[in-house]
Amino acid sequence: MPRTKRRGPLLGRQPIGIAFVTPYAVFLAGIFAYPLGIAVYMSFHDWFFAAPGAVVDRPFVGLANYATVFTDPAILRSFGNIAIFLVINVPLTVALALGLATALNAAIPFRTFFRVSFYVPYVTASVAVVGVWLFLFNSDGLVNSVLGPLAPDPPWLVNSALAMPVVAVFVTWKQLGFFILLYLAALQNVPKELYESAAVDGASRWRSFLTVTVPGVRPATTLVVLLATITGANLFTEPYLLTGGGGPNGASASPVLVMYQRGIEQGQAGLGAAIGIVLVIGTLVISLVNRRLLERD
Amino acid sequence: MPRKVHPLRLLALAAGALMFLFPFYYMLVGSLQSEPDTTPAGALPNPANLTGQNYADIDGRLDLGTTLLNSGIFTGGVLLCTVVFGVLAGYALARLHFRGRALLFNLMLLVQVVPFQLLTIPLYVLIVRTYGLADSYAGMILPFAINSAAVFVFRQYFLQLPKELFEAAQVDGASELTILWRVALPLVRPALLTAVLLTFIGPWNEFLWPFLITKDADMQPLAVALANYMSNVAARAANPYGALLAGACVLAAPVIILFVVFQRRFTATNLGSSVKG
Amino acid sequence: MKRILLALLSATALTAAAACNVDGGGGGDAAGAAEKRGPITIWYSNNAEEVAWGKAMVEKWNAAHPDEKVTAQEVPAGKTTEEAIGAAITGGTAPCLVFNTAPAAVPQFQKQGGLVALDDFPGAREYIEQRTGDNAAQYRSPDGKYYQLPWKSNPVVIFYNKAAFTAAGIDAENPPLSTYDEFLDTARKVVRGGGAKYAILPAPTSEFFQSWFDFYPLYAAETGGTQLVEDGKATFAGDAGQKVATFWKTLYDEGLAGREKYNGDAFADGQAAMAIVGPWAIPVYKDKVQWGSVPVPTSKGTDAKEIHTFSDAKNVAMYSACENRGTAWELMKFATSEEQDGALLEASGQMPLRTGLADAYPDYFGQNPAYTMFADLTARTVEVPNVPNSIAIWQALRDAYTDSVVFGKSDPKGALADAATKVDQLAGQS
Repeated sequence: MPRTKRRGPLLGRQPIGIAFVTPYAVFLAGIFAYPLGIAVYMSFHDWFFAAPGAVVDRPFVGLANYATVFTDPAILRSFGNIAIFLVINVPLTVALALGLATALNAAIPFRTFFRVSFYVPYVTASVAVVGVWLFLFNSDGLVNSVLGPLAPDPPWLVNSALAMPVVAVFVTWKQLGFFILLYLAALQNVPKELYESAAVDGASRWRSFLTVTVPGVRPATTLVVLLATITGANLFTEPYLLTGGGGPNGASASPVLVMYQRGIEQGQAGLGAAIGIVLVIGTLVISLVNRRLLERD
Repeated sequence: MPRKVHPLRLLALAAGALMFLFPFYYMLVGSLQSEPDTTPAGALPNPANLTGQNYADIDGRLDLGTTLLNSGIFTGGVLLCTVVFGVLAGYALARLHFRGRALLFNLMLLVQVVPFQLLTIPLYVLIVRTYGLADSYAGMILPFAINSAAVFVFRQYFLQLPKELFEAAQVDGASELTILWRVALPLVRPALLTAVLLTFIGPWNEFLWPFLITKDADMQPLAVALANYMSNVAARAANPYGALLAGACVLAAPVIILFVVFQRRFTATNLGSSVKG
Repeated sequence: MKRILLALLSATALTAAAACNVDGGGGGDAAGAAEKRGPITIWYSNNAEEVAWGKAMVEKWNAAHPDEKVTAQEVPAGKTTEEAIGAAITGGTAPCLVFNTAPAAVPQFQKQGGLVALDDFPGAREYIEQRTGDNAAQYRSPDGKYYQLPWKSNPVVIFYNKAAFTAAGIDAENPPLSTYDEFLDTARKVVRGGGAKYAILPAPTSEFFQSWFDFYPLYAAETGGTQLVEDGKATFAGDAGQKVATFWKTLYDEGLAGREKYNGDAFADGQAAMAIVGPWAIPVYKDKVQWGSVPVPTSKGTDAKEIHTFSDAKNVAMYSACENRGTAWELMKFATSEEQDGALLEASGQMPLRTGLADAYPDYFGQNPAYTMFADLTARTVEVPNVPNSIAIWQALRDAYTDSVVFGKSDPKGALADAATKVDQLAGQS
């Protein structure tokens, strides 16, 4: 692919754009890029935070922290957990959000009630809702009473295999409201004429959904997948609250949780930073792959 | 275009809504109980067990007025910055060509990928030591000031607007500033709603950052005060679990009210008309 | 792809600039600060009784020292306190004193350069050792100095629900709970007899500090006062540690202790017939449970007058951001004087770390005989070891414990041995 020479004036065709973005750019540089730079720097040292003016020794350790990230079983397990989470959460979110948004888009009675009900979990602080879920998934909670003999043993949240899926379902439920909103907004942009012509062609509702709606909201789908992936990768509060610090043998620990434990609780800030950087790079890679896949066909 | 309402669809929706609301409903019921009833039967409100005492407990221990005000200032500040600077940035990223556009866009994506916990302590040191903003609203607001997801939403939205709108104005010889003011801004309402709803939740429910920035009880937002309450004082209340749920309901109520009020506007604007007309 | 690399490179380029500035900003002048007087800020926990005591204490001080006013703020007594203090140290905004400093966090704060060695103050060492006696040695740091003033402890014991025991046919005034066998029998009886769903429900979760409320108190009792780490080596992989682990494992295996986190206080809600807590819990249980208390069990039974337990102490530390250290030290002495210790005792029922407690406050213990056991235990409490990486050490133990004892996924012998190796390595770093 031939390299394109930069065309046009030095500052671009509409240099006033620079003025428009300056506040945001300054904000990003000061509040984001700078601390991120510090985090990268920290990850190459045996770093810990110290009081101002304290004379402490923080030797440069090269890639030692990164080596730990890739060899420590607890850390590796947390990355595995997050992969399980994403595999469950992202497709479920897309399917449910699109389906529900489509349903909510019609002129149905009690539309406000329905919209509010799906949105409510999103705005409620996790800390409170978790209590209810703990009650529901307890060994003699509602879910197990309904399932009867099918109930898993050990019960849900203390079961190494089931703990992360339960967390995934919880987060899906909690976040769905927001993604429904995104799809609702996107659905407004699907031209009505397309539905009309599909109906004229004799397409069933399901068929017109597949051929008109789904392609029509493609940009929104990309956005939903991207945001769901990012939020999922950075999961912290929910696994901590639902399984009290990482679950049985770290079965529901997330990378950010481990980063918090090692970096802030145990004072190994360099290692914590390394975990964070690896997570960021991993998330970027996954997001890129997702984008490619979604924009291919 | 009103579509025929299939009864099955309504039923499915109702089932879904029920599943979604049930935990929240349970929270509400639990917050009104005087004695915690953890059996499944407790899900149904028992008139004998109902009381507003949990809410009274909270109001007695926390100064609901001040903390709500602080939450409002914190969230309001973030909303203001995000809307003003975010729309500018989103518009520029979508419609204008300038040096560094690609870089800024990628940086914006990167911001959303990085977990806040990675940056917390360096950010704290920066804001407290270098900028000297401990114990101030500015210190609370600063890390959240411009929500990058909102900027992304604005950009996405402006990208979807038909080119003809802007080209018409350009042909008329309007400056970029005029185009922004006359053409883009009036149309931005739907995106504004999405962005506001998106941006509101973060600062409203945020506990850790305000907690680190200030210990002065007069400046703490509601989320922090409630967390303090739940971690310690609630254990003494007659029904600690109920008090916790009452706190959560108090925290969630303003957001839900706001949403109910504004959600109607969500689909009101039909873009098609602005192109045809 | 190119653009993303560009963005990342830019971010990393800022790293260079960032690195130079990371520890910028001057520190305080330590030399003269030990003498300086003036207004100071303190933090204390938001436990209701401690707040009441704290406010009264500050008011009294302020009345007597109008030029050295104390401003007090509450911080929640939870996990996040250490994070807030750590962040405050780094940011240079820590208060002069924190009346809620966990001994387990002291090595880390010290490493950060955040604490002031109390030995700098003339007569401080004598004051501490005279007030707390032999037990004070546990609070010294590896360099031999005191970076914390032992303040109050909550000796951990077993509380039991008298009504639940009576319902199951157990003598509620003298329940058999002193040996492991007796305890297990009683536990089985109370659960089968319908007294409560669980015999006891300590938190089965993996936060690093949970071992302080199941493994460690029993370990302290079983070994007659050994800390988790002594002379830089883990002590828990031996015989005593095995016995304690096996005891708890039996409780979990037989369903007498719950494997799921309970949302709330299981003992107060009647879900568990027993609890393993300290006297701070008494105001919580006041109107809810008719409780009795006994010391923790040991394998062969130990007399209450000789048994050890975990201290669950919270101490006062002076932070290096403090400018008026002279005032801070005087306030520390004031707050731990006989009068103020008595006020704390009366307000909260928590035990000041003072020798001869029962003799110093005969009126209080006369009126509250249930508390005499705690006063007696205060002299024989075991603290967390003051070693580097103490939090990582507790996390390593907890991970091994939950895996083998709570969830039965591995054998306690092997799990504890592996944890001990890790702990040896962590404690050896400095």
